[in-house]
Amino acid sequence: MKTITNILLVALAFTFTACDQPTEKIHIREGIRSDDLASNIVTRPVAHAFSALIGEGIEIDEAILMNNDSGFLELNINGHNRSYSTKRFRYKIEWLDANGLMIQTKTSTWLPASATGKSSFSLKAVAPRVEAVDFRMDTKKWE
Amino acid sequence: MRTKIIVTLVGLLLAGCAAETVNIDVVNDEGKAVMELDYRDFAQAASEMIQSMISSGALKKPGGGRYVMTTARVTNDTMQRIDTDQLMAKIEEELMNSGQVVMTSAVGGKGAPDEMIYELRDIRDSATGDEFKQETLAGKKTLIAPELSIAGKILQRNIRYDRNRQQVEYYFQLMVTDLTTGLRFWQKESIIGKRGSNRSVAW
Repeated sequence: MKTITNILLVALAFTFTACDQPTEKIHIREGIRSDDLASNIVTRPVAHAFSALIGEGIEIDEAILMNNDSGFLELNINGHNRSYSTKRFRYKIEWLDANGLMIQTKTSTWLPASATGKSSFSLKAVAPRVEAVDFRMDTKKWE
Repeated sequence: MRTKIIVTLVGLLLAGCAAETVNIDVVNDEGKAVMELDYRDFAQAASEMIQSMISSGALKKPGGGRYVMTTARVTNDTMQRIDTDQLMAKIEEELMNSGQVVMTSAVGGKGAPDEMIYELRDIRDSATGDEFKQETLAGKKTLIAPELSIAGKILQRNIRYDRNRQQVEYYFQLMVTDLTTGLRFWQKESIIGKRGSNRSVAW
């Protein structure tokens, strides 16, 4: 029992150590960069297994809205993939007018996105109508 | 008697095996991907093209107002029978709704999108024209020429991936050209790739 607890604690420590990576501007992947405590030939399988066990996935860090030079609302989403595996997903952005009503556009369709393991990703979308003042976003698994 | 019952049961079973026809949920289609281009691929390509065009600022007319645009030739260079309007109708609709562009139906890559423009002028210039109130007929030199043109092509490459699988790549390429100067204002390529069984035929 004590051994299992120790393994879990070590795995947790590795997971949290790896959390710093998405904020780095330069991402050097496992197998290319020098091994560290969280990713060497011995600990790597444990860290990967623990990450999968607790179901790590995509997280959104920030959503920046701004008007471009033509007056259209632009959305920039920055996020990171906490897991060790590539996460492929689809996302759909719907644009809302000042009354909170959805604006029907052909651009509001499911679009593909992908984020490799333990790395950052960005999504960009542009509202095709000047009436758009807000957005909502939905995601689903890549079929 | 027993034979009749067996034949009836087999018939009923076979009838039950026939695939049921269902309507597609085009908003949240959970259906599997297909090797050919389907409506989801056109929706994705159109969305990417529209967003790129609008965010580029290429359609912002100096001094304000809207550009007059026409759709020139969009070539289908795939192995499938595709009407390129599946792509262009979505793009034209959104560009017009954006308020930056007005499309002309007087000229286009496939001829005038609305031939009635010229049929009515033929009527005006014929004896039948006398049947119409003259002030309701379009006068000469009333059509407005396009300032921008959108053209491009959709092309396909089939690649053998391994013994059992093939890779099909579809390239959507569009460009916007200023018809006065001939300068290209905007261009984009959008790629959709599919990998599947060799037995699937992508044409």
